[in-house]
Amino acid sequence: MEEIKTDILILGSGGAGLFAALHAYDSNPRLKIVLATKGLIGKCGCSRMVQGGYNVVLDPKDSVELHFKDTIKGGAFINNQELAWTLVNDAPKRIYEMETKIGCFFDRREDGRIHQKPFAGQSFDRTVHRGDLTGIEIIARATDQVFARDITVLEETRGLELLTNSNGDRVVGALLMNIRTGQFIVVKAKAVIVATGGSASMYKISAPSFDKTGDGMAMCWRAGAEFVDMEMLQFHPTGLLAGKSRLSGSVLEEGLRGAGGRLYNAIGERFMERYDPERLERSTRDRVARAGYMEIMAGRGTPAGGVLLDMSHLGAEFVESKFPGMCERVRDIGKDLAREPVEVSPTAHFQMGGVRIDVNCYSSLKGLFVAGEDAGGVHGANRLGGNGIADSTVFGARAGDAAAEFAQSQDWVPVDQVQVKMFTNNVLKFFGHADGPDVYQLRDELKNLMWEKVGVVRTGQKLEQALKRLAEMSEEVERAKLPTGSLRGYNLALNEILNLRNQLVVAQLVAASALYRKESRGSHYREDFPETDNQNWLCNIFMRKKGDGYFIETHPVKFTRLRPEDVAAK
Amino acid sequence: MTLNVKVFRFNPETDKVPRFDTFKIEEFPNMAVLDVVMNIQNYHDPTLAYRCSCRIGMCGSCAMYINGRPRLACRTQVSSLGTKDITIMPLPNLPIIRDLAVDMEPFFEKYKKIKPYLIPKQDLKEPVICKPDSGERELIDYMLECITCGACYGACTMVATDPHYLGPAALTRAYCLIADKRDAATRERLVIVEQSEGVWRCHTQFNCAEVCPKKIVPTQAIQQLKKRCVFKRLGLFRG
Repeated sequence: MEEIKTDILILGSGGAGLFAALHAYDSNPRLKIVLATKGLIGKCGCSRMVQGGYNVVLDPKDSVELHFKDTIKGGAFINNQELAWTLVNDAPKRIYEMETKIGCFFDRREDGRIHQKPFAGQSFDRTVHRGDLTGIEIIARATDQVFARDITVLEETRGLELLTNSNGDRVVGALLMNIRTGQFIVVKAKAVIVATGGSASMYKISAPSFDKTGDGMAMCWRAGAEFVDMEMLQFHPTGLLAGKSRLSGSVLEEGLRGAGGRLYNAIGERFMERYDPERLERSTRDRVARAGYMEIMAGRGTPAGGVLLDMSHLGAEFVESKFPGMCERVRDIGKDLAREPVEVSPTAHFQMGGVRIDVNCYSSLKGLFVAGEDAGGVHGANRLGGNGIADSTVFGARAGDAAAEFAQSQDWVPVDQVQVKMFTNNVLKFFGHADGPDVYQLRDELKNLMWEKVGVVRTGQKLEQALKRLAEMSEEVERAKLPTGSLRGYNLALNEILNLRNQLVVAQLVAASALYRKESRGSHYREDFPETDNQNWLCNIFMRKKGDGYFIETHPVKFTRLRPEDVAAK
Repeated sequence: MTLNVKVFRFNPETDKVPRFDTFKIEEFPNMAVLDVVMNIQNYHDPTLAYRCSCRIGMCGSCAMYINGRPRLACRTQVSSLGTKDITIMPLPNLPIIRDLAVDMEPFFEKYKKIKPYLIPKQDLKEPVICKPDSGERELIDYMLECITCGACYGACTMVATDPHYLGPAALTRAYCLIADKRDAATRERLVIVEQSEGVWRCHTQFNCAEVCPKKIVPTQAIQQLKKRCVFKRLGLFRG
């Protein structure tokens, strides 16, 4: 078995993984850094798919305090305020770094300074962008910079499990698998940074790239890391509806609503007037997504189960010039975004919950750093559009800096070969399964189950039903079949089994935490507890593994910078 | 409607020659070729190998040779092909890993040769002020949409005949940096692209531009570079 010894191992090559690599390297170029990525570098994951842009305070008339307040209000007051404060303070540094060191070039205003566009849920136009396909510029340029450095990149190599010491409190490396050859790689690392993204792909209608299946979260869970607020999963209000096509669920960007796009139900009502008369379509994602869902459930949706996004009143020329990427995509399904309403639906998009971290991305396990969507707490109960890529780059950079410092003062810890053997057997066993459940059927079932029972509107009963079935499915996936004569290399069915295994872990955390939170807040809506209960639930829910089950508890939010009454008073 | 789909199959480790497998696939509305490929792999033959990620034309992972032309599978609507017979092959000019998945390494090796990363000028401390109508950015901005999918590389007859030719995508990236006022390595890159395996291999056939899913015209970038290379030889290049 191939073995690699490195100072820092990074899993993932989205915004968090790339910025972690660049920062770790630049902190100390003598450190050996290995970056493993499930697809091709910079092409897999969702940072590349960022459309709208990046929230950052650049204008003297704006302030980090305002950005902070928007973020906390948007998060319904359960954000970890120190993480959110770090986000808004570091974001300008990262944009400067991108423009002056990494090579990004964002759109400019008439006077030549960086243009910032309006986004929903914000008190100032602060979203930096490159057209309406911003992720390409950020991620392609950051990838270019990785090429300039002595960083070992392992492409099409997925993380399977984190390796731990005998006490289980120190991460000592990871077991990887080269997807092309199917061969295992044991990486012994002083520090491991997990940045593989969330698992929203486990929903029937979902936005993420197909390779993103909560691998990092699942690995962290199995290794024993503590998680926070896993019930908080965001549905983006405007996922394109395109029937059975894979385009379904892909996000039509936030800027469309920011620019004045309107939402109508099938009987022509501008329904946001009923749900948020003040902010209308520019309300936060949680509210707009839920409103759309309610309309559809009340029978006021389109026959295909959507509502209508209309841009036409803004003028075709304006829409085509500001949103060329969106127009082009919609044209693929034979519709004209600039001139006619387009069918959209809430789409599973982003997990606010994740591994508990501190401002330097330390997790509860020594040697394990987590950044980006895998980590929880920054966004509370709902993320603002444009704060996602800010999160990945800000915390990716911090994870890289922190891991570099950590690695310099630490030694390697021996890898437990028995543990490695157990993990490899747990993959190889599938080659002996000539018969068993079909992974694609199971996957399709998971997507439907999550959509119906752990979706936009939840009830205790539905969540209990989901948990029961998810536990059964977790056993079934372990018996999944592989076609006889399957090869080790480029075995997509095997990879789907491993994906599903991870998605099922994350799905159970989301459902269990959702059952626990007996109120409605942000993206989490309980039909049986429809009110926001500030008396009892200004709390975070923490979970960690305990035997085959889990330990769950709540802690009150620490209002270190802003209290709910400070905002309400104004 | 039923689609007749021929899919290229080849495992370089075990097969002496490639073969085609055929599948009958039910067409549905808005179906892209990527839907066809995934449908085959998910429900007909799980051993098929292919690569994709974002499925919305942003990552550039799923370029394939579809009915005789390099295209992004996710951005190619079945209805646009004008036929129910679809032949799907791997992207040309690159080694095959398995079936429809190619090894992009030669493409990225060349991309890396031109030093694709900004080497900032020392005095660059904050975002430059650059008016959109100033013309300072020349043709750069629309070319930044490149998603390095390799479609241009697969279409280029000069790449096919000269394995050392840098190719359209790498040269386009070189132009974007050479024309970027923030960059300090302009001459260094011009020396790389003026070699015989660089810009002069381009015979302005526009194959790259015809297939680019982002509607970039690499030929335009390459001509801009040729102009600068000539000026440099004449001692007239400033930059």
